[in-house]
Amino acid sequence: MILIAFVLVSIISLIIIAATHNHRHMNTVCIAQAAIFTLLASFVALFLQVPVVSFFIGNGFFFIDHLGLFEVLIATVIFTCAAVYARGYIEGLLESGELEKGSLKLFYMAWALLLLVIVLAFFSDNLALFWIFAELTTILSAMLIAILAARDNIDAAIKYIFVASVSMLFAFVGFIFLFETSRVKLGTGTLNWTELMQHAAMFSPSMMIASFVLVFIGFAAKSGIFPFHTWLPEAHAKAPSAVSAILSGVLLNVGIYGIIRVYALVHQTTAFETIAPMLAVFGLLTIGIAAFSMLPQKNLKKLVAFSSVENMGIMLVGLAISTPVAIFWVLLHILAHSLTKASLFFSSGILHRQFRSRFSSDAVDEIKDVFRYQPLAVWGVILGGLAIIGMPPFPIFFTEFFIMLQLGTVSLPVLAVLMILLFIAAGGLGYFVLTTFTQVSEPDAPSDIEPYRVPASMKVPIIFLLALLLLIGILLPAQGMEFLNQIVMELKF
Amino acid sequence: MIDQATIEGIIRILFVCIIITAAYIISTRNLLTVVSVYSLQSLTLVGIALALWSLDGSIVLLEIAVITLISKVIIIPYFIATIQEKIRIKRDIEFHYLSPTTSLIISMALMLAIYLAFTRIMKDSPNATGGLIFFGAVLGISLMLMGMMVTFSRKRTITKVLGFLSMENGVLLFGMFVTELPFIIEFLIVIDLIILVILTTILSVGIDSTLEDYHKRLHRFHLLEEEES
Repeated sequence: MILIAFVLVSIISLIIIAATHNHRHMNTVCIAQAAIFTLLASFVALFLQVPVVSFFIGNGFFFIDHLGLFEVLIATVIFTCAAVYARGYIEGLLESGELEKGSLKLFYMAWALLLLVIVLAFFSDNLALFWIFAELTTILSAMLIAILAARDNIDAAIKYIFVASVSMLFAFVGFIFLFETSRVKLGTGTLNWTELMQHAAMFSPSMMIASFVLVFIGFAAKSGIFPFHTWLPEAHAKAPSAVSAILSGVLLNVGIYGIIRVYALVHQTTAFETIAPMLAVFGLLTIGIAAFSMLPQKNLKKLVAFSSVENMGIMLVGLAISTPVAIFWVLLHILAHSLTKASLFFSSGILHRQFRSRFSSDAVDEIKDVFRYQPLAVWGVILGGLAIIGMPPFPIFFTEFFIMLQLGTVSLPVLAVLMILLFIAAGGLGYFVLTTFTQVSEPDAPSDIEPYRVPASMKVPIIFLLALLLLIGILLPAQGMEFLNQIVMELKF
Repeated sequence: MIDQATIEGIIRILFVCIIITAAYIISTRNLLTVVSVYSLQSLTLVGIALALWSLDGSIVLLEIAVITLISKVIIIPYFIATIQEKIRIKRDIEFHYLSPTTSLIISMALMLAIYLAFTRIMKDSPNATGGLIFFGAVLGISLMLMGMMVTFSRKRTITKVLGFLSMENGVLLFGMFVTELPFIIEFLIVIDLIILVILTTILSVGIDSTLEDYHKRLHRFHLLEEEES
């Protein structure tokens, strides 16, 4: 029933968006949809017995287990914040003429559909079904990037579609391999994750390696892992900031989620001895590439985007360790990264609106006198930056710390490399903040900068997310930890 | 009823057709021809699906044949051809990194490499080397990689789309021979494909035009509603 509720709410939202012409109405509908989704997901988490078995769920196509529910909770919270943020942000785009009024309907319909598709993807038991929903998320989010119809945006969207979709076809071949592997052992083939999980231990390791590598290509591209990260900085920087937050906070999770699911299968066989080092290598390469790209970066949104790439690398390294403790902290890292990254994109979106170059959309923002014009956004970037590089008491401090502790038990040299790379990445962010935010013009110099009026709807999500992060970091609530433990148990690590 | 050997012979001939169409997509410069060759390639796939169906009588193969015929032989090529007429791009003469000759040589090397790789992977599976299934799998993956080469070596988005479509044909071919996927999955993939094609081609219209012009064109496709006065 719960799944039907999700679909029904979305259909109603779509109908209302189609019927109205007012931006505020469309936006309110999107906020309401995301808020209702959050409530529904919280209801399942608090009051139902997970994994849920009811009408239409647990029939082989859909299921709700702890991992899926966890991802859905993150996604719905971020969508709610992003929808609130979009209220002021899109209004600004309309005023400056960057977004045509005619495209609004398309934008919000794609937005509402994207949320539904993401939720369905996380609740898919059948891996092929999950693949199709993941593909749809690519297409819908590309629409959201291209909506500004500037040439750069279209370029970025097309690059995103091709890199992601081409790689996802490899993932599909990987699933065909998986299907055939299960057919050889079980008689009838299946792509049902719960069923595969029951029998994974007896699958042929060499076939599992082949299928994991192919699946990895696909979902690595979705989550921006080296060498498939090329689309990511471009797309995240060019998208409207409300959309960047979703891309970074939710869509990258879709890729990592796919990798975790299939890796859990591989972990049941001896194949994982081959796969785990591979994950670690790709994770380190990803962190390395991101760290060195962050160092000379002058564009704030690109900098934040590369930081997402870096965090995806950290998650891969954590997965590669594959002890229950490491998986636990990887899961918490997913949550912490999503919340932090969304708030960072919200803040840098405000700065971008204030200081964007008037001459070219490709030029670097002309940031000056930030504390005078946009104090909240600056503090958002600084605090968010501290949170993302893992300063206590933000939760990323704990996740990175414990992942590194676990890594230390496996290999000390790798740990040393990881620490150096993380330090470089943090240095890149710190260097940017120090050089850019200290730019001040002469006290009595004439200024032609008009302060960008930031409506409350754009401020609230930043404050809310940072407060939430602090709360999680300081309290580390016991029920939440228990929830994550359940996920680790279900993944059989 | 035709006997099994004849049908296997037919399938082998269709394999050759697939290779020829793939080579043509890689090397040709004329866009309209690429679209019709793609349509022909999909038709060949329909033929292979039908031939396989007559061998083992599985209803899924028949369904795949029908859905491929409708979507990939008729709807998608027709849509792309219409868009092409609208944006008046006839030739795609820009190759990014690879000239047609080099691409052809590389794809030959790719096929050889895949053949060798599959001989190793499948050596302990019941479908031993040399059988139809083996060749189908090798050809499917080769077609996929050749399509990927087109996607990344051409500049025009429409040619990229055709490369992607040809990749997808490769996946379908591979899937048909290696295992039997449930029909619902094939069906959803086709829907996904259609949406992707529609979106990318519309975006490609925008790439070659100025902003105002692009919006005018979008209005022509009824994608944007008229602005309120």
